[in-house]
Amino acid sequence: MTTPRSRRRRRERFLPYLLLAPALILLVGMLYPFGLGIYYSLTSYWLQYPNRFRFVWFDNYVDLLGEPLFVRALEFTIGFTLVAVAVQVGLGLAVALFLHARIPGRSAIRALMLMPLMIPPVITALMWKIMMASTNAGILNYVLSFIGVDPINWFGSTQGAIVSVLIIDTWGNLPFVALILLGGLQAIPTEPYEAALVDGAGPVAMLRYVTLPLLSPFIVLAVTFRAMDSLRIFDVIYATTAGGPNDATTNLQIMAYQYSFQWYQMGKGMAQAIVLLLLVVMVSYLLMRLWNRASESTQ
Amino acid sequence: MTSRAVSYQRLMRQVAIALASVVLLVWTVFPFVWILLTSLKSPGDIISVPPTFIFTPTVDNYAALVVGEQRGQYASTRPDFPRYFLNSMIISMGAVALSVAAGIPAAYALARFKFPGKNALAFVLLSFRFVPFIAFVIPLYILYQRFGLYNTHAGLILAYQLITLPFTVWMLRSFFMEIPMEIQEAAKIDGCSWLGVLGRVILPLSAPGISVTVILGFMFCWNAFNYPLMLAGRQTFPVTVGAIQFISYEQVLWGQMAAATIVAALPQLLLSLMVQKYIVRGLTMGAVK
Repeated sequence: MTTPRSRRRRRERFLPYLLLAPALILLVGMLYPFGLGIYYSLTSYWLQYPNRFRFVWFDNYVDLLGEPLFVRALEFTIGFTLVAVAVQVGLGLAVALFLHARIPGRSAIRALMLMPLMIPPVITALMWKIMMASTNAGILNYVLSFIGVDPINWFGSTQGAIVSVLIIDTWGNLPFVALILLGGLQAIPTEPYEAALVDGAGPVAMLRYVTLPLLSPFIVLAVTFRAMDSLRIFDVIYATTAGGPNDATTNLQIMAYQYSFQWYQMGKGMAQAIVLLLLVVMVSYLLMRLWNRASESTQ
Repeated sequence: MTSRAVSYQRLMRQVAIALASVVLLVWTVFPFVWILLTSLKSPGDIISVPPTFIFTPTVDNYAALVVGEQRGQYASTRPDFPRYFLNSMIISMGAVALSVAAGIPAAYALARFKFPGKNALAFVLLSFRFVPFIAFVIPLYILYQRFGLYNTHAGLILAYQLITLPFTVWMLRSFFMEIPMEIQEAAKIDGCSWLGVLGRVILPLSAPGISVTVILGFMFCWNAFNYPLMLAGRQTFPVTVGAIQFISYEQVLWGQMAAATIVAALPQLLLSLMVQKYIVRGLTMGAVK
């Protein structure tokens, strides 16, 4: 015999799943295409030639290894991420420390810094594209001419294109790093500083032995988010260099895009997408371990 | 150390701080100023060497955005910006509405109940923040072509769930978890069912959190570029994809593009003022408060 109480309890056991049902349906709707994509990566799917569709096992992946563009795109993806994260977290830390010191107009600067952060990245790219016109009509080249720099061919030269993408990405994301680290700095209690002051620590020693260790979980968090986003950067590159010149700014995401949406080789494009996904998973796993260690050591 | 040396040091410190503030301000704000100026220039002023700060402002570029290029020879292929703006509104609002409708009960379940598979589910949702979009857009493109969802608002709203649903569930969950359990249990003792607790306690108390989630979710949809680039067509382009249409093989319409970037960025700038305090929390899916 079931009492009303046990019936209610049984209903309660199913309630979470009932509540989750709409989201789970949407989630399945997301995971189904992804599963299909994994399957396509094992086929010779070429949109314009449906009759060539065959299951080819890992041929697409093996072919990638012999593809010079893939090796370069992989190198650029990793290299860009390393440099972008180092530059953005380094500068972001400097900005956060600067804003943490009680400078006049801090809250105004903080509010203004949200502007680059929240506008669409592709719009950021277009704004800089206007400023980075290659002639002296471009404001950036004009300003640089005052310090004796010859007009830079921003998007037309190999190095210029890489630097341009880095500058644009940094402009859009520096505020993100700075705000995370500023939040971290404000969360540090004053006691460790007082103790260090008693021990006669100077500002540099304070930074090295008090601030940075206590800030480390936030630094790892900023590195994680920036690394994940830099590995997958697409909008800015697409709108400025489109991967050029001479494939200098082609990363894995741009390459997979070109394969699948310019040449319609969906199977190959999908294989590249999966390689990028594996790279992202690997890096996030490493950073997660680093984060665990950092947050343990501060507790 | 003499007092003169100390005051000299203090002066230098203040000069350094002022200088750094100016650099930071110029770096942050100048691009906006320059684009605003560019959007108010005539074609001749835009390509003038050296770049000019003093010119007769014109609203031609904005007029061209709204009613189309009057004198241009490419009038037939001009980007239809008012439509793109409307598309951005429809898709972003639709995507957020769907995510919030599905996300409120899901977030409540994740915040309040213990059940098998809970942590795995939360982790799967979080991992969507880090997936490369291309791994999803290739199969979606193929499916959308097959099932008639390509170049439709409905198709884009569904695709945008990849952006908004994980975000909505994680944000709402973190807001729901901030409501003390005691209040909920008191309501339970007073005879509320768990659904009653959701409707009468959780939702009213977390109304500010829900508004923040809605606004941020809308902003992330507004920023989206890569999904609509592949899944939308000329009739359904949002402003982000629309803005790059000013670059064509024939020419780059710099002035109109500058005006388009201002118009595309404006809602974001206004909305971000409203949710200032929550932006970092939103961008990290609740990891940093």
